[in-house]
Amino acid sequence: MSEKLLEIKNLKLHFNRGKKNEVRAVNDISFDIFKGETLGLVGESGCGKSTTGRTIIRLYNATDGEVLFKGENVHNAKNKEKTLEFNRSMQMIFQDPYASLNPRKKIIDIIAEGIDLHGLAKSKEERTKMVHDLLETVGLNRDHAGRYPHEFSGGQRQRIGIARALAVKPEFIIADEPISALDVSIQAQVVNLLKKLQREKGLTYLFIAHDLSMVKYISDRIGVMYFGRLVELTTSEELYKNPLHPYTKSLLSSIPLPDPEHERKRRRIPYNPDDHDYEENENVEMREVNPGHFVLCSEKEFKEMNATASQASTNS
Amino acid sequence: MESILTVKDLAISFNTYAGEVKAIRGVNFELYKGETLAIVGESGSGKSVTTKSIMRLLPKSNSEMKPESQILFDGKDLTKQTDKQMEKIRGKDISMIFQDPMTSLNPTMKIGKQIAEPLLKHQNLSKAQAKARALELLKLVGIPNPEVRINQYPHQFSGGQRQRIVIAVALACNPKVLIADEPTTALDVTIQAQILDLMKDLQKKIDTSIIFITHDLGVVASVADRVAVMYGGRIVEVGTVDEIFYNPKHPYTWGLISSMPSLETDVDELFVIPGSPPDLLNPPKGDAFAARNRFAMAIDFEEEPPMFKVSETHYAATWLLHPDAPYVEPPEAVKKNQEKFNNAQSKGGVY
Repeated sequence: MSEKLLEIKNLKLHFNRGKKNEVRAVNDISFDIFKGETLGLVGESGCGKSTTGRTIIRLYNATDGEVLFKGENVHNAKNKEKTLEFNRSMQMIFQDPYASLNPRKKIIDIIAEGIDLHGLAKSKEERTKMVHDLLETVGLNRDHAGRYPHEFSGGQRQRIGIARALAVKPEFIIADEPISALDVSIQAQVVNLLKKLQREKGLTYLFIAHDLSMVKYISDRIGVMYFGRLVELTTSEELYKNPLHPYTKSLLSSIPLPDPEHERKRRRIPYNPDDHDYEENENVEMREVNPGHFVLCSEKEFKEMNATASQASTNS
Repeated sequence: MESILTVKDLAISFNTYAGEVKAIRGVNFELYKGETLAIVGESGSGKSVTTKSIMRLLPKSNSEMKPESQILFDGKDLTKQTDKQMEKIRGKDISMIFQDPMTSLNPTMKIGKQIAEPLLKHQNLSKAQAKARALELLKLVGIPNPEVRINQYPHQFSGGQRQRIVIAVALACNPKVLIADEPTTALDVTIQAQILDLMKDLQKKIDTSIIFITHDLGVVASVADRVAVMYGGRIVEVGTVDEIFYNPKHPYTWGLISSMPSLETDVDELFVIPGSPPDLLNPPKGDAFAARNRFAMAIDFEEEPPMFKVSETHYAATWLLHPDAPYVEPPEAVKKNQEKFNNAQSKGGVY
């Protein structure tokens, strides 16, 4: 895989800091995102996957840690220009296509907001033309520009959300559950669109979702989160074939697949965090078990996993 | 198999400012004793309207049931019952679980009282008896520490626990039919798995029949005995879960199955059903799916297809099954499933 586009180092986000009800939504996670790839982020609700996405794009200010975009720390940019530049290269698509579009604005103004903010259009005509092109890119009609959000279906609105994200020509897009609110048949349309745009424009995605078969389909690598921590990170093939962290195993065992035969045989594996039996002050961190396959584990677990992994490789 | 609920020629329209929306246009199905029937289809296909009409939960002011509609339950036609009589059936013989556990419980009422409500209403239990039964039900649906929890309010529970409580309310009177309208859509995969297991478990324990509405085909494969596929206010295909997944005949079912990636899917582009759902204000002439069907023939735009029989349990409404129709290749994903089906059958059957 090519160069690192984004490096997330020891990122932390704690709500209600120092109070009794402190929530460690994102608790010391580190990973890299390579140029042109799709990194999937999965986990149950409340595990901090959306907060991670929102912190990377700085909708929240990180409690601690760094986000490096092309090697530069973008969260502490010294001047306004740097911040603007960063905001342009990173965009977000939100989960709820009904709540994320301002109902009082016309589509043309919703999509052009970024263009206006960054002064990308020199004249009104150019602005209109850019919006028309964007609408066509996402499979809508240029006549739609003058309408309001309520005139569109859920799938169409999500396309508008995508057009808005593309307006400032970003390199990196965070898609926070972009298909969860859509019907099955519409989901496929939006996923196809995202893949097509990635091919054509060389985009990099962070794809946050809880529908695992769709994540597997769209992602090159997948990170699994649990209680604010990243517990496993590897290629999507490897994650499904050879999950190592017990939480990943439990998560995979609970997805129903559209295959009745498989469903009759599927047995759910429960996960109990106490099973790890970590000692106090034991160093639990991300360790590379196989090349490119990172698992959150203690030194002891690491050795066990390595032993089984090498056994598996000699067997095969 | 003994049928417990029979829906015949169900037709419902809504009167709107724009005109009459024909939401349900002739739905027929049977629910057998002890089985789980899944109803699938995209939003607006009429899944929820069908089940709400069974419970008579549709607004009277703007909905209209056509006179030929029949809902036979327990020897009675539910469409002919008075509202008073329906009250005796609703929550007792037929009960319902709704999609959103956040809004289907009363936030100002302790959950114990909410579970006891149907018991007091339908079973003439004393308050103490009802409370004891509510405790039992909480244990049954797996809420830890029920003695304390029974006196708490809904906001003190998580989403999964609330859905468990909703299930407890629905099961309080041991209903003969349980209608579950997307009961796990608002929940996480791990919680969803727990709720599905719970429902399967309870179904065995209290021997009830379930109508399960969902658009998640994974969930369907996991819970259903039989599946009915709805499109544009009609059932277009019905069969056992194996027949629908491994040997589907209707092009709309093909589309549904191939638009969802399986874990092995490794294609550049997912299959997409083109176009948008039919406008039920002016339902199209002929087959409602014809405009989005790449296998559509001239007759599809002229005449509505009848239900063709594929096997004793499997019926589909598509002209492709007519003896004179040309053979068409189903999409790749469906063919793969069919191979599995054929292999299994030659080895002695999947049933």
